[in-house]
Amino acid sequence: MKIRFIPTAAVLAASCVLTACSSAPSGSGQAGGPDTLTVWIMKDSVSDAYLQRFEKDFEQQHKDTVLDIQIQEWDGIGEKITAALASKDAPDVIEVGNTQVAQYAQSGGVLDLSDKVTELQGADWLPGLAEPGKVDGKQYGIPWYAANRVVIYNKDLFARAGVTAPPKTRDEWLRITEKLNRGKTQGIYLPGQNWYTLAGFIWEEGGELAEKQGDEWKGALDSPEATRGMDFYQRLQALGKGPKDSDEAKPPQADVFAKGDVAQVIAVPGGAKIVEQANPALAGKLGFFPIPGRTAGTPGATFTGGSDLIIPAASAHPDAAYQVVKSLAGEKWQRDLAKTMSYVPNRTSLADALQDDAGTAAMAAAAAQGRATPNSPQWAAVEATNPIKEYMTAVLTGSNRQKAAKDASDAISKTLNS
Amino acid sequence: MRPVPASPSRVLRRLPLHMGALLTFAVCAFPVYWMVLTAFKPTADIQAETPLFLPTSLTLEHFSAAVNADGFWLFWRNSLIVTAGCVLLALAVALGSAFAVARLRWKGRRGFVLMVFIAQVAPWEALLIPMYVIARDTDMLDRLPTLTLVYFMITLPFTIVTLRSFLTGIPRELEEAAQVDGCTRAAAFRRVTLPLLAPGLLATSLFGFITAWNEFAFANMLIIKNQDDRTLPVWLSSFSNVFGTDWGATMAASTLFALPVLILFLVLQRRVASGLAGGAVKG
Amino acid sequence: MTPPAARPGATKVPVPTATTAAPAPSPAPAPVPPGGRRALPGSLWPYLLIAPTVLGITALLAYPLARNLLISLQHYGMAELIRGGAHFAGLENYREILGDAEFWRVTRRTLWWTAINVVLIMVIGTAVALMLQRLGRRMRTLVLSGLVLAWASPVIATTTVFQWLFSSRLGVVNWLLVRLGFESFQDYSWLAHGPAAFTVLVLLVVWQSVPFVAITLHSALTTVPTELFESARIDGAGGWRIFHSITLPLLRPIFGLVLSLEVIWVFRCFAQIWAVTGGGPGGATTTLPVYAYQVARSLHRYDLGAAAATVTVLILIAALILYFRQMFRQEAEL
Repeated sequence: MKIRFIPTAAVLAASCVLTACSSAPSGSGQAGGPDTLTVWIMKDSVSDAYLQRFEKDFEQQHKDTVLDIQIQEWDGIGEKITAALASKDAPDVIEVGNTQVAQYAQSGGVLDLSDKVTELQGADWLPGLAEPGKVDGKQYGIPWYAANRVVIYNKDLFARAGVTAPPKTRDEWLRITEKLNRGKTQGIYLPGQNWYTLAGFIWEEGGELAEKQGDEWKGALDSPEATRGMDFYQRLQALGKGPKDSDEAKPPQADVFAKGDVAQVIAVPGGAKIVEQANPALAGKLGFFPIPGRTAGTPGATFTGGSDLIIPAASAHPDAAYQVVKSLAGEKWQRDLAKTMSYVPNRTSLADALQDDAGTAAMAAAAAQGRATPNSPQWAAVEATNPIKEYMTAVLTGSNRQKAAKDASDAISKTLNS
Repeated sequence: MRPVPASPSRVLRRLPLHMGALLTFAVCAFPVYWMVLTAFKPTADIQAETPLFLPTSLTLEHFSAAVNADGFWLFWRNSLIVTAGCVLLALAVALGSAFAVARLRWKGRRGFVLMVFIAQVAPWEALLIPMYVIARDTDMLDRLPTLTLVYFMITLPFTIVTLRSFLTGIPRELEEAAQVDGCTRAAAFRRVTLPLLAPGLLATSLFGFITAWNEFAFANMLIIKNQDDRTLPVWLSSFSNVFGTDWGATMAASTLFALPVLILFLVLQRRVASGLAGGAVKG
Repeated sequence: MTPPAARPGATKVPVPTATTAAPAPSPAPAPVPPGGRRALPGSLWPYLLIAPTVLGITALLAYPLARNLLISLQHYGMAELIRGGAHFAGLENYREILGDAEFWRVTRRTLWWTAINVVLIMVIGTAVALMLQRLGRRMRTLVLSGLVLAWASPVIATTTVFQWLFSSRLGVVNWLLVRLGFESFQDYSWLAHGPAAFTVLVLLVVWQSVPFVAITLHSALTTVPTELFESARIDGAGGWRIFHSITLPLLRPIFGLVLSLEVIWVFRCFAQIWAVTGGGPGGATTTLPVYAYQVARSLHRYDLGAAAATVTVLILIAALILYFRQMFRQEAEL
């Protein structure tokens, strides 16, 4: 249905006059010349330096294209990407979180790249990235990178407390954290709503966030296993001053850790770089170990985060866009990414690209226990309202845990089945 | 106010009143004070265990972080253009309607007034999707004028209602007298009523300005690919992201965001007040 | 008002003396001499003057509303938004919404939310306006500038500030309460408990709304000749009596306008709730607009969201119908 606005002359004139000066400089190079490809990258996902290197290199290789890389904010990104996919002039390449990609793949607004899988050597893609990007046997999302969380610790504080080696088991972890949590030092800074970490603890106990029973999803936070996971989280959380009603972004945990009186924090290894940037005095004083598991020798289960790349069906330059995806997902830039950002490359055969530093070693050790969120296109909707965070805060602040767990599970079931 | 000799008993009697006044002022001003203060505080002071209510040392680092952030001035200007456009448009259109309603007799007037009143109830958040679809189908996505039009519509009903009540407050006899003196009706309106209406126009435009200046949802939904056309509220939200909810910079940006409205208020307030006082000696 | 002393801060809305305050209703206004313009018959002018408004409302409000209504009658999710081709669903979405117990809980909560906020806003706003009237010049300027400060600060900025004031760890409010002897507020998570989160939001909305009411009522009060109060006082009328028999009747029309505007604004209030609690915890602060938004945008059920929005408008119009009727009558008298 097409209906034109019928603005009055006054409306038209006024708004034209007022915006005339603005429309001149804002055009992003659509005039003749080379095609401009718009690429959306999420905030803080990769460093600016990496993107600049890539942009320069790509434009050299493809003289007829210009890249316009736009950094997207996390706030309201779901709506933004939906709006982009539905528009007539969409961005050409979009980075999408691996827990979110399924819903877009299913929507029909994303280009089917199944015939490119062989060329991209998709046979050994990380399943945690490839599977969510696949719907009904068709590949829409192309794996980009993965990362999982480890414990970053302050070596000085460990030494001062007489802790010589990182813990091997969860019990040992609790013991040493308690030992570290003295005086002005926080044993661990764990905000109450770090739900990725909770997910790991739940999986470690054998529980799930949600289970599929036949055609129906059922939230599983009220299972005995999940409850044990939450108990462990609560015991650990109490060994520091992390706010019970907030996540790792509010306040930014890197800033808190950078003050130097926090012994441990749970983050992706790349987080250490941000800490060192905020407080250069900590450079070289940060250590890493995988989140301990219940038994020595096996790290704890952990959430594998990461990103896929998609090409909107409404992209005006699908072929050129594919070239961008091919480069970013290809060996050269994957190795660079592993080196720059300490991310796990999208193919298992590239794992050797991870340099031998402590952070990536810890991450690689934990990656073996990597898990993904429930495989449903509706999972993104669960994250959007996030009953898990509310559940965590409710338990930590002493509400009725059975009821909180039941409420959260029901909310998850309802969303996944709608 | 008439000067009254301040006797001790009088001072005492007025004590609760003055306490109430001070309390009102404190409650109103504190959050704003806290915002500005935080914007000037060093990060270490912001995260101090005991809040510091008076500045010990001040820094401009948060402001430079906010201003130097990519495209701050661009978004500031975009917001100003969209907002000013919406306000002028709404005033121009509303003035005609308010005049017709307040001064003229015509068939369908009651229906029109009712329509304008009901238009105030419009569920704007719910109209995001239809608006998006319409803008997409008319190739109006990614353009600032689209936002101007939407904000114009959001503010128009309120503008008409308030202008109308301002107009009814100005006796029509004044105009009629001018017409007797040989003015045309339009000239009478321009020369007599419009000056008296000026404070009303200013007060009304303030409301429109604040509404449009604040709007986030449409700006976020209708400006997609053309990032240079984003507005300040959309940009302001960029301070809350995974690794950087930086209270100092957020408060600095909020301060800069509030600044135009506060300035406009301070400048216009006096004119509005004097305008009202002038209207009072209408004779 | 006797000497035309400039009153700093008499801002905002007029003094809609609309109907009541007109001492001598202008003589039957029917035969307004058709002004100078000869080109057009006078009877056409009103329609030309309202034409832009009618056009604007038609194209930019009525049409989107119609589209919204259409969406509420279709199966309309993310796929339909992107690819088009939505199917007609009849009243199914309405049945789903109205059959959802959650919807009715939210509706009840929204009515409470509106009632609590509006009552607080009107009571405090009126009190402040009356206080302003009795204050000396300097104190009045002080309070007015405080009010203007609160009123002019953009919602986004003040919402952020409130989030911070009430944050559990470094928030000023908790610090203050602990100092005052309420030890249990050490690191208290306001936003984690339903009633507490609700309270924070009420405080925020009241704080943001009182200035408008106070300033508007104050400027309405200043149009009342002081002689009126003086003579009443000389006649021996007490404070309450003056308020009851002079202030209140004078304020009634503007009071009605402000009240209805506040009902509309508080009922529709969305940005503050969404930014501070997102409707949580456990849905304790989910009002109808938040509910419609969640259904539409988080779950991508645009059809259900559209249906919820339609129902919301109907409820709001029903709530304001009394006011509309009264206004209608006033229009008739004009």
